[in-house]
Formats: sequence, C-alpha cells, structure tokens
Amino acid sequence: MTASPRTAAPNGRATLRSIWRQTGFAPALLVILVILNIIINPARFAPGNWGTLIGLAAPLIGAAMASTPAILGGRGGIDISVGPLMGFVNAMVVLVLIKTLGITSPVIIVPAAIATGMLVGAINGLLAAILRIQPIVATLGVYLILVGATLTILPAPTGTVPAWFKGLAGAYSILPLGAVVLAWWGIRRLPYYDHLMAVGSDDRAAYTAGVPVTAVRFISYVITGAFAGVAGLMLTALIGSADPAIGPTYTLIAISAVALGGISLAGGRGGLLGAAIGAADIFLLQSVLTYFNVSTFVLQIGYGTVLILAIVLTAVQERLLDRGKGGAP
Amino acid sequence: MFRFSPDQTRVAGAIVVAIGLHLTGMALIEGYGSAFGLRAMLVLASLLAIASIGQTLVVIIGGIDLSIPFLIGFANVVAAQLFGDGMNFMLVCLIIGGLAGLIGALNGAISSGLRIHPLIVTLGMGTIVQGAVLLWTAGFPSGSAPAAVSEFVSIGGEAMGLPVPWLVPCFIVLAALITLMLARTPYGRRLFALGSNPGAAPLALINPVLMWTATFALSAFFAAMAGVLLLGFTGSAYGEVGQPYLFQTIAAVVIGGTALIGGRGSYLGTVAGAVVLTELNTLLIGLGLQPPMVQAALGVIIIGLVSLYGRDPPLRTLI
Repeated sequence: MTASPRTAAPNGRATLRSIWRQTGFAPALLVILVILNIIINPARFAPGNWGTLIGLAAPLIGAAMASTPAILGGRGGIDISVGPLMGFVNAMVVLVLIKTLGITSPVIIVPAAIATGMLVGAINGLLAAILRIQPIVATLGVYLILVGATLTILPAPTGTVPAWFKGLAGAYSILPLGAVVLAWWGIRRLPYYDHLMAVGSDDRAAYTAGVPVTAVRFISYVITGAFAGVAGLMLTALIGSADPAIGPTYTLIAISAVALGGISLAGGRGGLLGAAIGAADIFLLQSVLTYFNVSTFVLQIGYGTVLILAIVLTAVQERLLDRGKGGAP
Repeated sequence: MFRFSPDQTRVAGAIVVAIGLHLTGMALIEGYGSAFGLRAMLVLASLLAIASIGQTLVVIIGGIDLSIPFLIGFANVVAAQLFGDGMNFMLVCLIIGGLAGLIGALNGAISSGLRIHPLIVTLGMGTIVQGAVLLWTAGFPSGSAPAAVSEFVSIGGEAMGLPVPWLVPCFIVLAALITLMLARTPYGRRLFALGSNPGAAPLALINPVLMWTATFALSAFFAAMAGVLLLGFTGSAYGEVGQPYLFQTIAAVVIGGTALIGGRGSYLGTVAGAVVLTELNTLLIGLGLQPPMVQAALGVIIIGLVSLYGRDPPLRTLI
C-alpha cells in the first residue's frame, strides 16, 4: 500500500481508515463469517432467529466489552475476574434473589446485578489502582475468591428464572447489549473518556498534565465491573438457571476477543465496538466449525489458529500503517 | 554493614512467610511437621518450582506465558502415549523436549517479531497444542510412566540415604544452575537488560527477537519437563493435569518478588513463592476447609502477601 497525502483523501476514506485502525481485521472477518454462516446454514441465520442467535452470542460479547475499560487504562491494566464475576452475579440473582427471597421484578434484579458488579469492580480498582498491586495478580486473587464463593453458595446447578428474564436471551436479547453500548456511548461524551485514553497511552505524561491517573484507573475497573454485571444477566438469561461452572470459562476467551477486536493490551487504543466485533467473530467462527460437524478438538485447533492468524495480520497491517514508529511489544 | 536491596527484601519476605506458615501448621495441625508431610510438600513444591522456571524467565524479560499449562498437558499425554507404544524413553524425552522448544520458540518469535502481546499469542498457541493433543489421542490418553520416572518423583523415595526422592536433590542443583545462569552468564545479563529497558537494549547489540525466542523456548522446555515429571507422580496421563499451573506459576513468580513489568526478579524468589503456595494449600486443607473455600482463601492470601511487599512504585516516582 502506498501512502497517499492525508489531506487529499476524501472524508469517507478517512473515516474508513480510522475504523480500520481502531478495529483491525475484525470487521472484515465479521462480514466474511456472517456471509459464510448465512450460505451454509440459512435456517439458523434466518431473520426470525436473530433474537435467539444474539442471545447465544451475548454473554461472550458482554464479557469482551466488560473486559475493555480496564485494559484501556494501560500499565498492565486487565481484569481477569470478569468471567467469575459473571458466574457470581448469576448465582446471586438466581439463588439469592429469585429462589431464596422470591424477588422476580426486573426493577430490583437488574440494579442489584449491576451493583454487585460495581462493588467487585471497586474492589479490583482498589487493589490494582490505589494499592498498586499488579492488575493481573490483583484480579487473579479476586478471580479465586469469586470462584470459591460461587462454588460455596452454589455447589451444583439449580434454580429457574421468570419468563421476562428468558426473553432477554430470546426476542429481546438486543436490550442488555444495547444498554451497555448506550452506557459506553454516554461515557465517551464525558471528559473522563479522554482522560482514560490519555492515561492508557502514556500515564506519566497524563500525570504531569494533571490528569488524576489513580482515580481514572479506579473508575475504569468500576465500569468493567458494572458491564460484567450486565454480562452476568445475559448469561443468566441464556442458561435460565444458576450454574457455578460456566462463568469462569469466559475470562480468557473474552480477552482473546478483545485482542482480536484491535484493542491494544498495552492500553490507550481501541474501543468497545472492536471488542464486540471480536467476540462476534469468535462466536460465528465456532458456529461455522460446529456446522461442519468437526470434533470439538478440531474446533479448538481452528479457533486457536484463527486467533493467532488474525492478530498476526492486524500486527502486520499496523506495522505498514505506523512504519517508522517505535514501541515496546 | 550488609544491607538488603529492595529485591532481596522481597525474596527474604517470601522466605519468612514460608517459614511462618510452616510454624503455624505445626502449631495448629498434628502431624503437619511429620517426615511424610514434609516430603510430600518438598515434592509438590519442586514440581511447581520447575513449572515456574519458564514463567520467571519470561516475566523478567517483560512477557508472560499462558501456554505453560497446555505444554504440561502436552508433555504428560505424549510421553505416556509414546512410551506406551514401546518407544525408548530417552527418545521420547528428546522428541517432547524438542517439540516443546519449537512451540515455545514460535511463541517468542511471534510476540517479539510482530510486537503482539505474549498473553494472546501464548494463549492461542496453547489452545492449538491442546486441541492437537486431544485430536491425536481422541480425548482418551493411554499409556503409563516408566518405573524410573515414578521412582524419581515418588514421595516415599530415597536418594543418597536421605528420605527424599531424587527429584529434590536434582531440583536443588537445577535451581542453583538457573540462579547462576541469571547472575553470571551473558544470557542472564541480556535478559535483565532487555526486561528493564526494551528500547535501549537493542542499542547495546542485544537482539530482542532472538532473546524472546530463546526465553520462550526455555519456558516451554521446562513446562514439558514438569509435565513428564507429573506423569511419574500421578502414574497415568491426563491432558488437563497442567491447568492448576496456569495461575499458580504466575502467583509463585509474583509472591517471590519478581515484578510483572519486567527487568527485576530472581529464581530464588520463585522457589520461595512455590514453597509458600504449597505450604498454604496444605495448611488450608489440613484445617478442614472445603476445596472452594481453599481457593477463595488462596485468593485473599495472594492479594495480602503481594500488597505487603510486592506493590508497584507510585507513578510520581517514575517521572
């Protein structure tokens, strides 16, 4: 690709270029995978099924979006407790609120789930941002605590959810995802967003410029927690019961989705949209591989290969765009 | 007057905690300090410390390796399968060591050459390796460990008249060699230089891609070694045997005072970290806690220990 003068490029191309830079190969892969899925499996991907399909993909997309704010904060910022937190919210909602207390109203359940997420997020933020424990270790500690707590209150799968809740994984599956996107859209309009990106790109420069780095990072973990709370609701809607084993499995796959979506794990670059697209890619890829009826083992190899290939391609493309700029891996 | 550097303080902290935990165990639980209990803990800590060698090196260079549990599983299953098919065990070890080294080299080369975060690369590579192993064995690994390996790691074993299996003295020699390698060889100096300043090290003619490739290859090699030893310990192959080591290796490294930002740390610290984790696990189970509660308590204690002596410096001191 030859570099064209930026001023000469039409506006549309500049926008396209900025999306390309932000999300890498993920959108192109998304288009290819959607078309492939529609061709090989038209019944499953018929418009009437979209609600259910989105409901199936929602927990992974939610987990990936939730993982993003903490990563954007930079200096090793990451929250590996997102998966277990989703499982914990699932257990709290189904076991404590619905089964034990008999509460079925969304007016209580939804805020309670988000509040639980924000509380755990605040603990993560306290440990990682204020006490300055390396984030992967701090959130690993919280990961272990959440898994232990969930298994203690919920040794085996149990419980049911009211009808409105199941609808969140069916006809209305777009609602929780839409709520997260809307919330992030609001955050992007606040000065806080600029602070977060500045801290993620170069925290020392941001600190010298008077940005409250610690507070910005703390809040990023609280936002991650709140979104993880919503993702926990999506998970609950999908499985329709409480299950202690499912939540933790989302952690690493969500981080893969984040990386696939062009978000730099070093912080300061990328956004929620990229994470969502990356997660949708992984979901659709699994869907294609499952259709071919290959064993789960091949599915695993295929998933790992595509992840590495996509990230390698993104890195190569970035190098072509940023030729000459240095930086640590 | 001899003074501790901050790094030495961290290592000393981990050692003090390990001793403190052991004394607590002896005070609270009958038979905690018995010869059998001690031997079991020595073997378990040695296995964890071997699996954490690679994580220590990789973290010092400024990376992280999430493929360790998958390589442990890989070595575990492949060793049993090939040995079960009647292959010479030395040849089996050579094949596994070579393959693991290649996989690790690929991890390092991709991460460094293309500047991709090693967390994602090692995770993806680990997933592929695990899938390939499952595919090869159709999910049901067979075969067994040679008697010599089982003897080598057996808790009831004896070495040179001491009541410990050969694993323990061999591990002590290995630990000394690793420490020597970090402190006294050009490789060790380059490792620390690259970890503490990835921008300046190439100006000192350190090839970052070569260093990352070699270091991740070493990491994978030692993970495979742990996998083969675990085969001797458990007797039969199990693909998921490495999974607990994903977070335990990172925890051991961090409790031992090695900073995840790179350029700092020691293998002695990691060994102390492995001992702390093993003592903790034994103590909590000995106190009658259920496995989920043990896990939660481990989480609390890891956070507590690291907040005591493993905190990052405040940002204002870095300007």
